[in-house]
Amino acid sequence: MKIVAKPIEMICWFDTNQGIHPIRFRISLDDGSNKVINVEKVITRELEKLAGNTMWVFDCQSNIDGFKKQYQLKYELSTCKWILFKI
Amino acid sequence: MSRIIFHIDVNSAYLSWEAVYRLQHGSQIDLREIPSIVGGDQEKRHGIVLAKSIPAKKYNILTGESVHSALQKCPNLVMVPPNYERYVNASNAMISILNQYSPHIQRYSIDEAFMDYSNMENHFLDAAYEIKDRIKNELGFTVNIGIGPNKLLAKMASDFKKPDKVHTLFSYEIEEKMWPLPVEELFMVGSRTKSKLNGRGIYTIGQLAKLDRDYIYSWLKKPGLLIWNYANGIENSEVKKGSVPVKSVGNSTTTAFDVETAAEAHKVLLAISEMVGMRIRDLNSCGSVVSVGLKNDHFFHYSHQKKLDIPTSSTNTIYKTAKMLFDEMWNGEPLRNISISLSELSSNDFFQLSLLQKYDKRDEILDRTIDKLRFKYGYNSVIRSCFLHSGISPIIGGVMMEEEYPMMSSRL
Repeated sequence: MKIVAKPIEMICWFDTNQGIHPIRFRISLDDGSNKVINVEKVITRELEKLAGNTMWVFDCQSNIDGFKKQYQLKYELSTCKWILFKI
Repeated sequence: MSRIIFHIDVNSAYLSWEAVYRLQHGSQIDLREIPSIVGGDQEKRHGIVLAKSIPAKKYNILTGESVHSALQKCPNLVMVPPNYERYVNASNAMISILNQYSPHIQRYSIDEAFMDYSNMENHFLDAAYEIKDRIKNELGFTVNIGIGPNKLLAKMASDFKKPDKVHTLFSYEIEEKMWPLPVEELFMVGSRTKSKLNGRGIYTIGQLAKLDRDYIYSWLKKPGLLIWNYANGIENSEVKKGSVPVKSVGNSTTTAFDVETAAEAHKVLLAISEMVGMRIRDLNSCGSVVSVGLKNDHFFHYSHQKKLDIPTSSTNTIYKTAKMLFDEMWNGEPLRNISISLSELSSNDFFQLSLLQKYDKRDEILDRTIDKLRFKYGYNSVIRSCFLHSGISPIIGGVMMEEEYPMMSSRL
């Protein structure tokens, strides 16, 4: 996986145990078009506290353009921003 | 019973926090591995080096020197602006890890803390390595931990070899580990004391320690005795919970352009008074000495102060006094830095009024109302109209954050 760190638009659900479950996200590509990706499987979720800044890190897997791909999403608590961190 | 004190010191704090934050957000470069600095904005003339990376150290770049001269020493130096909110978060995260090891923690500054680890079940060395590694793994930055029988020796120990190390300095190790060091490495020995000591042939901490106690007292008086004690590893202050009580509140600003007219200077004074006033009211105290400091375009600094009859926390009173002091001492030269500070603080519960000075309760109510508005809707929700289109920001000074942290202090 390579670091891309791109901001994305996200639909997710929050359960009653403070769990966060990403469902699908939209990313704008370099050519100006948008791409919607369904998060098919969340493999791991981890709380990261680097430099005291809390982020949830999700390792996920989806079918993208016919290929099974692994990627990493990050959710920053202080700003409520989602990023596609690695793919 | 002998004590075990830890001193935890973040390695190049601002810079490593900045580096970790950037890596967390996908930066491909680790600022710690290239010549880089955290520095103020040169355009606004806040251009000094606040922190440097270890590779930058090799170019002989010093903390506190101007960004301009740092760039001359290393032209491809990477410079990043400071962000205090991030640093406070990082510092808080570190303290919350320390809290899991001991209830006695003293935050000495934003990047340093003392911890009392006496009478603990686990061995202190295991604990120190565990803390160091946890901070590295969980928070992503490295620290040095110094361990000693008191705060002074712990602090000296954490300074030995960096980064990411644990050092001990117990009484029996002083001769071997501390005495060979140059005398200026000792806590509280600054450049002036150094030259005094060097002048009499004292170059190492050991030489200072071996001097006769009476001799050093007759020569340098009480401060001399203090550093003599330190050189011998004698120090016994408690690890104080919380921070040291505030003794004065002050703010200053280096203006983006030289201030050349009295009207401009008065506006800057007013903007600083707003900040000082808000901070003093936030502490629920009043101050009775107002002092104003000026620095001219040749970096010459001078100041005046005045004692008030009634301790005050009112922005208007601070401003009026500051303005009067300013008018008394300013001779019309261009200014680059202006500061105001309020000292001799007392609680604002009750105070003696004076027959000679006007006191208006409404001032206090007005200030309190404005503070509440600003707290709720932001600093710039209520501003004085004189700042409109003036190019001067209506509230100036310091690091804007809810909590104040002690910067470095000379008291352990």
